[in-house]
Amino acid sequence: MKQIDEGEIIGRVLGGDREAFSILVDAYKGPLFRLALRMTGSAQDADDLTQEAFLRAFQTLGRFRIGERFFPWLYTVSLNVIRNHLRKARALAEGTAGKGLPESTDPRDDPSAAAIGREQGRRLQGYLLRLPVPVREALILRFYDGMAFEEIASVTGDTISSAKMKVYRGLEKIRAMMEAEGDE
Amino acid sequence: MMKDSDIERMMDLLPGEEKNPQEIAGEHLETDPHWRQIEAIARMIRQEPSVEPPVSLGERIMERVRAHRPSIWTAAGEALLRPRTASVDPLRALRSPVSGKECSFYFIMVGVFYTILGVILMIGLHRLGTSLVTPDWVRWQPQIALVTAGCMVAIGLYLLKDGKLALRMARIGALVYLGFALLNGIFVPLEWDIPVSAALSLLSTLVGVPTGIFLIRTILNYGKQYA
Repeated sequence: MKQIDEGEIIGRVLGGDREAFSILVDAYKGPLFRLALRMTGSAQDADDLTQEAFLRAFQTLGRFRIGERFFPWLYTVSLNVIRNHLRKARALAEGTAGKGLPESTDPRDDPSAAAIGREQGRRLQGYLLRLPVPVREALILRFYDGMAFEEIASVTGDTISSAKMKVYRGLEKIRAMMEAEGDE
Repeated sequence: MMKDSDIERMMDLLPGEEKNPQEIAGEHLETDPHWRQIEAIARMIRQEPSVEPPVSLGERIMERVRAHRPSIWTAAGEALLRPRTASVDPLRALRSPVSGKECSFYFIMVGVFYTILGVILMIGLHRLGTSLVTPDWVRWQPQIALVTAGCMVAIGLYLLKDGKLALRMARIGALVYLGFALLNGIFVPLEWDIPVSAALSLLSTLVGVPTGIFLIRTILNYGKQYA
């Protein structure tokens, strides 16, 4: 979505046209849902948190500075909502890791390859959930969302160096976990 | 053990988006087994298939947005915290048309002034209370200042709505304020028979009357856009 369109839509929402907010919801519900899903490992929590994040964004839209990019701002709002949730929920039981994930659209034609892929995905989600929250955030933003380190830094409030170190620590921890569990 | 700078350089070689693995790993790193494991994990995460949100999610979000009613405090907080740009030039405001935002700014600033004045008077009169008998009208001065502050801020916030009714309210408010400033200047020395009261009254009038005239003038200039 072009920045100028976002500015116009936000202006309309601030002017009282609530329905215009649905354009932003349609554009960003996917990335926000995926972020929440990867962070929590639960589809139900991801659904609730995505709703909460959009509602929070709507409530605080007046603080958004027109002219800036909306997506990083929305991501920051969403991350704060997710962090609060994780703080409250504290530890997710390892046994439930990955069980709440909905079936993804696997592009592989071969059913057995797709099944292996799903299993790998569940294991990967399990490893992710065992990482500290800030490290998990950095990994998700970098590899699931394909963000540049500059963007990650602006969304999480870290420096670029710190974002890189978190990504590295995350990958290194996953590698260690995989090694410990004999996963390849 | 790897240095931080090496790690940062390594991370730069692992792009977030899909890339050819041969392209990702430089020749010097391709043979390093540790790097290859790290790179393989990054690739594995990147290649995870995308998960789509439930179809009804957007509609459920919008239902909550439509049903959302902010509390008075939240709405007031948002109105105050919302970033605004307004050029402020009091001298220009006296002779040429001003925007609603600028006009609002002047009212809010007067409100801030009276809040500070009210607090200072409250503290001052509290200390004075034990050593000097003060008449009722003088004892009510802090409360009068705080009420004036509240009214000014309320009018200022209302002016942000940029409407004719807000303009009319502001005009009435400014006139009442001016009248009250004059009356207060007369009442205080009449009620309080001490030498310093005349000076205090003069000071209060010297602040109140020009402020009132300024606000009225600004309001008139703001009203030109509706003429």
